[in-house]
Amino acid sequence: MKGRLIVLWTAVGIPLAWGVMKTLETALKLFQ
Amino acid sequence: MTASFLDRQQTVAPPDFNRFLVPPAALAVHLSIGQVYAFSTFNLPLTKLIGLSHSAPEDWDLKQVGWIFSIAIAILGLSAAVFGRWVERVGPRKSMFIAALCFGGGFIVSAVGIHYHQLWLVYAGYGVLGGCGLGIGYISPVSTLIKWFPDRPGMATGMAIMGFGGGALIAAPLSVMLMAHFKTAASNGVLETFVTMGVIYFMYMMIGVYAVRVPAADWKPAGWTAPAKPKTLVTTANVAVDMAWRTPQFWLLWVVLCMNVTAGIGVLSGASPMIQEIFSGRVTAVSAASFVGLLSLFNMGGRFFWASTSDYIGRRNTYMVFFLLGIILYSTVPTIGHLRSIPLFVAAFCVILSMYGGGFATIPAYLRDVFGTYQVGAIHGRLLTAWSAAGVLGPVLVNYIRQYQIDNGVPKAQAYSVTMYIMCGLLLIGFLCNFAMRAVDDKHHYRGSIQP
Repeated sequence: MKGRLIVLWTAVGIPLAWGVMKTLETALKLFQ
Repeated sequence: MTASFLDRQQTVAPPDFNRFLVPPAALAVHLSIGQVYAFSTFNLPLTKLIGLSHSAPEDWDLKQVGWIFSIAIAILGLSAAVFGRWVERVGPRKSMFIAALCFGGGFIVSAVGIHYHQLWLVYAGYGVLGGCGLGIGYISPVSTLIKWFPDRPGMATGMAIMGFGGGALIAAPLSVMLMAHFKTAASNGVLETFVTMGVIYFMYMMIGVYAVRVPAADWKPAGWTAPAKPKTLVTTANVAVDMAWRTPQFWLLWVVLCMNVTAGIGVLSGASPMIQEIFSGRVTAVSAASFVGLLSLFNMGGRFFWASTSDYIGRRNTYMVFFLLGIILYSTVPTIGHLRSIPLFVAAFCVILSMYGGGFATIPAYLRDVFGTYQVGAIHGRLLTAWSAAGVLGPVLVNYIRQYQIDNGVPKAQAYSVTMYIMCGLLLIGFLCNFAMRAVDDKHHYRGSIQP
């Protein structure tokens, strides 16, 4: 059950973190 | 896959099931369908399918292409309202599977439309079929999450609906990368990107289909007991969907959601030209795009933050904060414009957009408080028609009033002031409706079996 929990949260966490990172890359240009 | 695998009975969780496995199942669906917010990345490439580097006379124009998104959002609201009761009856697994078929299939049908250059097929594919996937997918995990988290319904639904905001953050760079990857001398890569995204999103949504479980009828979180004296407005009774929408509470909440969304979506749709015109000469198009990115992040983060906060301060109080803080911020924006302070302007709109997202994410828990858990997903589906209305009202208000001001000789930098005050007026209407919320009369309570 614990392994399944890690796999599932990783499966949704990685794409979300990638999307946030890409957006932050663009957003931070506002302050440059 | 047999039909029985999709049936509700097959999804009842065993006693040792960890309920934190359900939010990622919901997130897998919402992160996928949230792609719709990034559809504008396809707008320009869709106008250059024949000309490739430029729009040829036979190419579709931007106005025609713009309808794809509008149809999808309109069908989202309609399908959520129409299929809500069906979603409650068949359970989350079957409804998520149908949503995956519709959403993924919508991309594939649209790709056929792009191949034969038939716009009506793109409207029917992404707009109608994909729109059904959006509506069914949006509401499918809501009541399941509320049942798994009776102690923290705001946090649970906020997490899923945060995924809808997050989906755009993933889809925008993904679409750009895929189009660049598939670009050749004979194609600008849109067709191949549509096929790829259709397959990827279908498979990703299947994670949710496989992982989702419903709790057993008598299940409660370990050590948790329902409060003996529930808070004001929180009911232990249930109201059926057909009765709920006949109560004044449903329509008060409809206006509450509509006003909150109208105020936010108007800004979101016109954020880029607005900051460039108010700070003319100081904000470039690139910086404006950064501003829009920042707003998207706060839109997403606000969904989780405000919905989770509502578990502690109550749903009505959370909306009171949205409306009062919104009125204060909107009324100070013209002054901030005069002060020429970009950081203050950005900060004000980031908070406003966090409350826009928060409004979407808190409404399912508000509905559960007022109408109970029995058909909360279906009631939520019908309430989402407020989103469709706000989707038209918000951008029209911002764009029309701006144009009217400019036509009457008001400088562009000041053309938004009246709009901001009108937004304050809308938020005041929302505040009054939220203030008028009372518990549903006992005579409306459902007294039959609550087993679906």
